Amino acid sequence: MTERSMLLALFDDVDPAADAIEKLRTMGIGDEQMTVISGIPVLEKFLGRPSVWTNVPRLALGGAVVGFLAGMFFAYGTPTMYPLNVGGQGLFAGPPAIVVIFELTMLGLLASTFLGVFLDSYFPSYQPKEYVTEVSDGKIAVLFSCPVEMESGISKAMTALGAEAVKPAEAQQL
Amino acid sequence: MSATAKTPILSHEEEYRQHLMLDPRPRGEMNAMVMESMQTTSWKFWVVTGFLALVVLVSLVGIWGYMIAEGLGLAGITRPSYWGIFIVNTVFWIGISHAGTFISAILRVLKAEFRRPFTRAAELMTTFGLAQAGLSIFMHMGRVWLAYWMFPYPNQRDLWPNFHSPLMWDFLAINTYLLASTMYLYLPLIPDVTMARDRSTGWRKVFYRILALGFRGTEGEWIHLRTAMGIFALAIIPVMFSVHTIVAWDFAVAMRPGWSSTIFGPYFVVGALHSGIAAVAMVLVIIRSTMKHMTYFIRPEHFDAIGKLMLVVSMTWAYFFFNDYMVQWYGGDKFTRILLEFHEKGPLGWIWFLMLIFNVAIPWLTLWNKRVRSTPWAMFIIGLLINIGMWFERYIIIPISLTINRMPFTWGEYKPGAEIPLSIGTLAFFILLYMIASRLVPLVPVWEVQEGQHAHSLRRVGKAVAPTVSELE
Repeated sequence: MTERSMLLALFDDVDPAADAIEKLRTMGIGDEQMTVISGIPVLEKFLGRPSVWTNVPRLALGGAVVGFLAGMFFAYGTPTMYPLNVGGQGLFAGPPAIVVIFELTMLGLLASTFLGVFLDSYFPSYQPKEYVTEVSDGKIAVLFSCPVEMESGISKAMTALGAEAVKPAEAQQL
Repeated sequence: MSATAKTPILSHEEEYRQHLMLDPRPRGEMNAMVMESMQTTSWKFWVVTGFLALVVLVSLVGIWGYMIAEGLGLAGITRPSYWGIFIVNTVFWIGISHAGTFISAILRVLKAEFRRPFTRAAELMTTFGLAQAGLSIFMHMGRVWLAYWMFPYPNQRDLWPNFHSPLMWDFLAINTYLLASTMYLYLPLIPDVTMARDRSTGWRKVFYRILALGFRGTEGEWIHLRTAMGIFALAIIPVMFSVHTIVAWDFAVAMRPGWSSTIFGPYFVVGALHSGIAAVAMVLVIIRSTMKHMTYFIRPEHFDAIGKLMLVVSMTWAYFFFNDYMVQWYGGDKFTRILLEFHEKGPLGWIWFLMLIFNVAIPWLTLWNKRVRSTPWAMFIIGLLINIGMWFERYIIIPISLTINRMPFTWGEYKPGAEIPLSIGTLAFFILLYMIASRLVPLVPVWEVQEGQHAHSLRRVGKAVAPTVSELE
């Protein structure tokens, strides 16, 4: 099995980073062996990267359904379980039920959206990871693994495409 | 010839550079500015903080503790005004809290670029404003140790809270809004605390490290975060509308003169936006004048844009006010007519007139002028007057309107007692929380500013340059 090393190339802008990703692909580095780290969100299409799957909308929908059911329970379930007949009035009332169901549906939707970010991103995660603080200064880091024997060739190619630095990626305490 | 031809081009370009989005600086420099603004604290800051902490201790903790021990008799609420300043403050603070969602969510959805540098300043107001609203309602409750009776679970007698009651809708709506707005505050904060984590040492490093959750800015992390922010921006808007509508229903569903109105829901929502946006303007003036480097991020263009919003909202508020007034006045109900006369000619009639002057006359007479809108101190004064006017509006709707009911033998004037120091205490607590947050949380979302600057550029069109915006989001 070929020994691989993890490298990090740092770019000043989106254009050279996109060119570098294209170059890496032509040199045999697959998209699954690359990660882009940036200080602002950069859409995949600008970097020529495949779309990233996110479960957040599905989790949000799931949360909304749970919230809706909770609202139904409070609006219709509790008066059924513990009936309190007052002056011949009905046990259930439509308009108040809409209010209760709406609030709990939205709470379920928003809370699960929030939790979805944690689940999909594996937050919180404080173990050491490959990172450079220049990223939060606006640089774009392309993190990739390559066979050790290609390291020098790739480094030269990255530098030629405008990389400010190409260095072994070190996991650091975040 | 060439000189005259160049002059307008240069002046145009210079004019465009007055806009934050067209006056970019390197991200590292902006980061350093925001970090310095958080970490630079003068002795004056500590004096003000200490004073506010003292006010909170005496006026909020002390007086409230005394009232809990002695009972609600210390407050002025009595027949016929069983709802007084505590409820006025609750409605007022919920109103203030609407600004964060409006500025952040609605303007985000509408892609209003001027929002970028001050979304967080507004979102913080939402969370801290709701905290004051919560405190005020607990004060009104009197026996706060029984607050858990509101929680949706059966009590010892197997009775659930009555979900047909507007008070339970309030409980659900306010808690939903508080949780949602806190989550909405936190999500876009993650990249900024990551930036702060990368630039801090000591206890700050530990603090930001915990808050950053291990964020690096990978493609996956950004897509999850952005998707969530998109869902939040859309979904929190109806929640915001529902909160103040439900607060309005606390009054409107009662068959009382002055309260029973079908228009109270939207009228309250617009009133909330009126006071909230005015409060954002005030906070921005204070941040700009007291925190380092904030003149770069918060510019006259931002006050100008907020001023336009304030003017439009003031006109909308006037429309709803008149709509409500007209129908009640025309209706001819005996007690409603007496109440309307009492509003204007009663012992507190001056409040009614000041409400209209502060909420309508002053914004309309001043905010049409761009120079006024672009002048921070003028915007502060107008914002302050609008907030006083909106507080008066709630005071008129609640204790003053409760004075007149359908049983004349109960009529009597409301005279606040412990409510006054407790109101001062909540105001001091809001400012104190904000001041502490300004030292701990990056008030400017730098990544959002950089993202906006990335999307904006100047393009030569013929003989001049024109600003262009790329669709990068």
